[in-house]
Amino acid sequence: MENKVKINRLELPITQEQLAKKVGATRQTIGLIEKGEYNPSLQLCVAIAKELGKTLDELFWEVD
Amino acid sequence: MMKSWISFLLPDDEYKESKILYFFSEGAILLFLSLLVTFICSRFISFDTETVLFLHVVLFVVYVLGRYIVSGIEFTSIATEQEYQKELKVILVKSAGFTAMFILVYPFISGLPVSISEGLGIIGFSTWAGLMMFFINFISLKRSYNRNKELI
Repeated sequence: MENKVKINRLELPITQEQLAKKVGATRQTIGLIEKGEYNPSLQLCVAIAKELGKTLDELFWEVD
Repeated sequence: MMKSWISFLLPDDEYKESKILYFFSEGAILLFLSLLVTFICSRFISFDTETVLFLHVVLFVVYVLGRYIVSGIEFTSIATEQEYQKELKVILVKSAGFTAMFILVYPFISGLPVSISEGLGIIGFSTWAGLMMFFINFISLKRSYNRNKELI
C-alpha cells in the first residue's frame, strides 16, 4: 500500500527511531511501512497519524 | 494483540509478532505432517519411540529458530555500519562470556573432570557451544543489518 508516512516524518523532522518509540513499534517496522512492504494495523495507523499530526486520509489514502 | 495464552512468547511490535506467529504455524504444520508420516510408517517399520519423539522436537525447534534467524527481524535497530560493528562486538563478548560460564558451571552439573582428556572434552564442548551461539547471532545480525539498511 502506498503511503505518505516518510514525507510527513521528514517534514517534522523526526527519525524513524523516534517515531518507532512513540508508537510502540520498531525502527524496522516503520521502515517497512514507509517502503510499502508492510500494511500496519488500524491501531498503528492511528498512532502514526497522531504522532505526525495528520489524519488517516492524509497518510494512507490514495488521492488522485 | 489478540488474547491468547501464547502471548507471553510474542513481542510487542506487531510486524515481528505476525512473523513469529507464521513461523510457529509453519513449524506446527510441518510437525503435524511429519507425525502423520511417522504414524503411517510405524505400521511397517519399527521405530525407537524416544528417538522419534526427540527428532520431532528437534524438527520443530530447528525450523522455527532457523526461520527466525534468517528472517532478519531480531536486530531491528541495526541499520548503519557503525551500529553493526558495535553489535558485532557485543555478540563476541556475549559468546565468550557464555563459553566461560559453560566451562565454570559444567563441573557443578556433571562433577569435576577426573582426567585431562575429560577436562579438554569439557573445554572443547563449551567452545563449540560458544561458537555455535556466535554464528547463530552473527547470521541473525548480518541478515538484520542487510535488511534494515535498505529501509532507512
